[in-house]
Amino acid sequence: MNINEKNIKLWSSIGSRATFGLAVLELGKSIDNLMVLTSDVSTSAGLDRFKKAYPEKYLDVGIAEQNLIGIAAGLASENYNVITTTFAPFQVMRCCEQIKVNLGYMKNKVCMVGIASGLVLGNLGYTHCCIEDVGVLRSIPNLKIISPADTLETVKALEAVVKNKDSSVYIRLTGSSNNPAVYDHDYKFEIGKAIELVSGEHIVIFCCGTMVHHSLEVSKILRKNNINAKVVNMHTIKPIDKEAIKNAIEAKLIVSIEEHNVIGGLGSAVAEELSKLGYKNKHLTLGIQDEYSEGGDYKYLLDRHGLSIEKIINKILTTMEKL
Amino acid sequence: MSENLKKISISIRKNILLMAKSAGSSSAHIGGALSIADVMSVLVGEQMKLSSKKNGYSEDERVRIILSKGHGCLAYYAGLFEFGFLSKEDLVTFEKNGSELLGHPVRNKKKGIDFSTGSLGMGLSLGIGVALAAKKKNKSFSVYVILGDGECNEGSVWEAAMSAAHFKLDNVTIIIDNNNFQQTGSNEKIMSLGNIKSKWESFGWHTEQIDGNNIDEILSTFKKISEIKKPKAIIAKTIKGKGVSFIENNNVWHHSILTQKKYDEAINELNSFL
Amino acid sequence: MSREKYKEVFLKSLSIESDKFKEELEYNEIPEWDSIGHMSLMSDLEEEFNISLETEDIVEFGSFKKGIEILEKYKVKF
Repeated sequence: MNINEKNIKLWSSIGSRATFGLAVLELGKSIDNLMVLTSDVSTSAGLDRFKKAYPEKYLDVGIAEQNLIGIAAGLASENYNVITTTFAPFQVMRCCEQIKVNLGYMKNKVCMVGIASGLVLGNLGYTHCCIEDVGVLRSIPNLKIISPADTLETVKALEAVVKNKDSSVYIRLTGSSNNPAVYDHDYKFEIGKAIELVSGEHIVIFCCGTMVHHSLEVSKILRKNNINAKVVNMHTIKPIDKEAIKNAIEAKLIVSIEEHNVIGGLGSAVAEELSKLGYKNKHLTLGIQDEYSEGGDYKYLLDRHGLSIEKIINKILTTMEKL
Repeated sequence: MSENLKKISISIRKNILLMAKSAGSSSAHIGGALSIADVMSVLVGEQMKLSSKKNGYSEDERVRIILSKGHGCLAYYAGLFEFGFLSKEDLVTFEKNGSELLGHPVRNKKKGIDFSTGSLGMGLSLGIGVALAAKKKNKSFSVYVILGDGECNEGSVWEAAMSAAHFKLDNVTIIIDNNNFQQTGSNEKIMSLGNIKSKWESFGWHTEQIDGNNIDEILSTFKKISEIKKPKAIIAKTIKGKGVSFIENNNVWHHSILTQKKYDEAINELNSFL
Repeated sequence: MSREKYKEVFLKSLSIESDKFKEELEYNEIPEWDSIGHMSLMSDLEEEFNISLETEDIVEFGSFKKGIEILEKYKVKF
């Protein structure tokens, strides 16, 4: 795909789902054995153009996610390069066992893309939000998990996965349209390698998905308070970049921020590593504190769960006071 | 030809019992393996042979057999032995520590095991994916999926059933091992299947109901349905434990220990059929 | 001058030939002007005329003609 300023701006304005649709359209040109499967969500996943351009590479299995994964695995076993997509809760949890058996255990390689993960569909209620996907999938062996920071990273992650499929992967798409860009130019993306966006010697912020942009804004404000925060984009939650975590253990405060339950996601993955390393200082886990709150729009819910920029800063500052 | 297949079915039954005995106190799913021994004999002895290397087919044109009722694996392994994928030494490693032959099939291409199964209700979806791939690649191999009748309780089976008709997959044939039992009792008692034939027909499948322990009938049915342009369901009415009198229709043998004594008794009975 | 520029942006952004174009062209009338094409078009118009469109105007921008009305609000002279 042409990664230039104009496209980056366009992708940012249309959001991750529509960007995914464009990325897949581009992949359809060069990958002969590509198959894209959905569960009756073509439009929501930005796939209308792909459907028209490559009808032989597109398959809708209807609202049947268990069948979706089984069919995807069957196609993958016959050497097709398969991408599946539907809304994150259904992509991950309705067919969780199928993911375990067909992709984890049998090792058929499929790229699953969970759209509208996190809180973006909050006014539809928590059946359509997904704050559990990373936690649920982390315990399935042979499965990688990526949470792209912005729409450009969505494109790069998809390309990386599809071109070098050595295992099944789950890509978690968060954010809405007008998805703030973290990157304004092309950069090197490698699955499993965290990216240090800002350096800082006082505290370390590990973040993923939409929280990367928030963390950058947070770090700017903290700097005004003479707190230099290192911001690390942990786009790959599994396998977690252990080196990046090891490099943080001198920090007096490590903060993990995610649009996910604090149980099971990035925060837990970081905590597991910190525990192994014998980290003795404070690890602040920001995310959804294991609850299904009242509904609301995206902005409302982020704030409600302490994930607005303002609330993140307040939490970090009050935590630092107590150190 | 059917005489040969009948001999294979007895050999399959003997090997089922051999593996069950080797498993010792780990016990084995014996009843549900014996019930499909005849179907397996035809699948391996006839259908698989038809698409074998000997007849000029390449590896990727071999028929695919998916044992969706994965716990019937003793019959599957015994079938793979008949086809030459497994040796006698392999068979007696069944359920031993570190073995590649477990109580449910684990994918192992070298040993002819194409898919891992065991969690009920998943095999048909897998088969549909494979069948779609065959259509796209213009390959003529058939996909055979063996399901249990109790397995048809699983909703995912019906998701797959609906899609096979929607995608017009005439290269998929399922065989339902209709032995009327599931783990803790009869189908009737646990979750009644109702009219299983009309259920599959209403989902758009061409359906045949046959005696699943009659090799001639199995053979002729496969031939009869081969040209039908719909997905095909063979409801094979079988006897759980078929072939050994003390195991037949006795659900204790769904998953049980086979002692040396019982093994000897069973083998004697099977030998009397030769 | 602006009218010509305006038409050029439409042709280039939506990747259509002038034989597919007409002054009465509406959103979703041709496959190229779908929701993604629309965002791309808005972005290109902003760049060409050095303006930043309000969300409401992006939503209201349902045809070539309506677009002229909207752009005039942003001091583009036709």
